[in-house]
Amino acid sequence: MSRSYLFIPGNTPSMIQNLDVFESDAIIIDFEDSVSSFDKDSARILIKNFLKKYSYNEVEIYIRINSADSMYFLEDVKVTKDLDIFGYVLPKASVEAIKELNKLTDKAIIPIIESPMALLKVEDIAKEKNVVALLLGAEDYTKELGIKRTLEAVEILYARSIIAITANAYNLDSIDTPYTNKEDEEGLLIDANNALNLGLTSKSSIHPNQVDIINQVFAPSESEILEAKRIVKKSEETDKGAFSLDGKMIDLPVIEKAKKVLEKAKKYNL
Amino acid sequence: MKTSAGSLESSDCLITVSDSSELKIVIESVVLEQFGDQIREVIIQTLSDHNINKIHVQCLDKGALDYTIKSRLETALKRRGENLE
Repeated sequence: MSRSYLFIPGNTPSMIQNLDVFESDAIIIDFEDSVSSFDKDSARILIKNFLKKYSYNEVEIYIRINSADSMYFLEDVKVTKDLDIFGYVLPKASVEAIKELNKLTDKAIIPIIESPMALLKVEDIAKEKNVVALLLGAEDYTKELGIKRTLEAVEILYARSIIAITANAYNLDSIDTPYTNKEDEEGLLIDANNALNLGLTSKSSIHPNQVDIINQVFAPSESEILEAKRIVKKSEETDKGAFSLDGKMIDLPVIEKAKKVLEKAKKYNL
Repeated sequence: MKTSAGSLESSDCLITVSDSSELKIVIESVVLEQFGDQIREVIIQTLSDHNINKIHVQCLDKGALDYTIKSRLETALKRRGENLE
């Protein structure tokens, strides 16, 4: 139930040793795109020694390993599987790739849905053991489709929607793709709200400056928290399965949703 | 044989190891006066952990913490074929 997931390069000590100051609910230490082929070994050893020395309770730490079809995959998992991390972010996800990872570790898995084929198989992916969230990788997805990214993001409307729906149906988190223009705060705000309004529960980012906006967008608002408190309070005061509040019918799904809002508010001290 | 790991970015260090008939450690650091002994200690301890006592280590430090120095040294050693398991 994190709001924000920040990618940081796996071979950059200045970022790694400050991972708890970025205010991101979750950190994804990256072994894939941000680490050159030459330095894959260096990143693994750096992160192993770092996480053996330091531990963090306030932030969820994931590692984005290299894809299951790469020559780095096995070593990435071998070196990190005993470290104190929440789990792995798996690029180029497929059912087969998740099964491969599950053979090596029991840690949580966040598959990146970044191809049309992965999107077609998203429900099968969601059902795999240890999957806790689905992450949309829109850059590779649109590249495969041969289409351009836009601020309006119409080109990923379907992908966002099906990921949000599937994740919700299987009680998983859904994580939106990063907004790649790190200088454009206004664009980020629009983009994050677009994702929120489609039902995605959180957003990933590639720059610490983006975290604050993402946390604000994906946190429940003051009025949502107030309404949730009233719903839960009234549900506790009545024996009825459904009741009326301010002229609206409140039944079990609404009460459960209100409880989730309060849970989120409590987690983030709102 | 000479191998390296790390970088000259802030909070990192560039470590180069090469053949030597004795233990030789050369450190250049912006914080040599304050932390030179500590850096040397990390290098010696890491080499000792892996039973290596004849090597030339050059460390160009840019304010790296202990875990980074250890990591860069271990990577450089692995790159020259040392078995560090």
